[in-house]
Amino acid sequence: MATVRYIVNDVDASLAFYREHLAFREVMHPAPQFALLVRDDLRLAIVSPVDAGHRGGGSRPMPDGTRQEPGGWNRFALEVDDLDGMVDRLAAAGVTFRSGIIDGVGGRQALVQDPSGNLIELFQPTIPQARERAAFEERRQE
Amino acid sequence: MPDPLDALRLPVVAVEPRPAFAAALLRRISGAAEAAAGQPATVRYFVTDLDATVAFYRDLLGFEEELRSSPVFAMLYRGDLRLLLSVPGRAGGGDVLPDGSVPAPGGWNRIALRVPDLDSAVAHLRRRGARFRTGIIAGVAIRQALLHDPAGNLVELFEPAAGYHERTPERGS
Repeated sequence: MATVRYIVNDVDASLAFYREHLAFREVMHPAPQFALLVRDDLRLAIVSPVDAGHRGGGSRPMPDGTRQEPGGWNRFALEVDDLDGMVDRLAAAGVTFRSGIIDGVGGRQALVQDPSGNLIELFQPTIPQARERAAFEERRQE
Repeated sequence: MPDPLDALRLPVVAVEPRPAFAAALLRRISGAAEAAAGQPATVRYFVTDLDATVAFYRDLLGFEEELRSSPVFAMLYRGDLRLLLSVPGRAGGGDVLPDGSVPAPGGWNRIALRVPDLDSAVAHLRRRGARFRTGIIAGVAIRQALLHDPAGNLVELFEPAAGYHERTPERGS
């Protein structure tokens, strides 16, 4: 199971966002600054910045004092069958988008923002090679 | 049309409890369930030098190169993680947004790779010239180290802290 860590400002608000809008399931939320979510084979750890002395290690400042923050362009991508429908549904629910639908080489995508401004890519493949499972299943059979 | 009474004329096969058979069947069933549930998760990282970054993930972290369809895009796999590497600023694929903003590498969000022995993984990678953002950080649930890829994106290496048990089952990493 692949794991991704996102830095968020408010774990509770983010947890609600990922559950309600993107169908993540809460696995654990043992501390205010940490929650673990699952969606299919993606494990998403969301953590809010903590102080250097905090017992949770995932979001402490660096030894030079630099704090970990949300944002950036790197993101996980969720493969969807009906991008237009999903964008419509999320927009109607008040979700913020960083971009409208963008046509690319292997598919079409839209960029959702979580409550801290982290990006989530919704990706609808338009060629078979771009599907998540295509190469993966080939590998599995080797 | 076959005679329905043929069923009664088939040789009788004795059915008896056989622990070995039951165990094998159980393995097959659970294996099939695992295969059905197993699917990759996808992450996209922005990078500057595609060749150097592909070499980094391939040679140091054990990713396999699946596809390099252009000088600005590569697809790698490591177990069930699919990593897309995009060079921003060129055509298509969210490399430039409609409003003209150009994505860049970096940030604190990251993939986290589970390793069996963090200390030896870090020592091994350091010997091979990898750049770390920090030494090993010990938290309540895991120990981790943050590695820089050639573009400055972070990769987290982690191992569960001693005595800590996660509730989610681990498949691969």
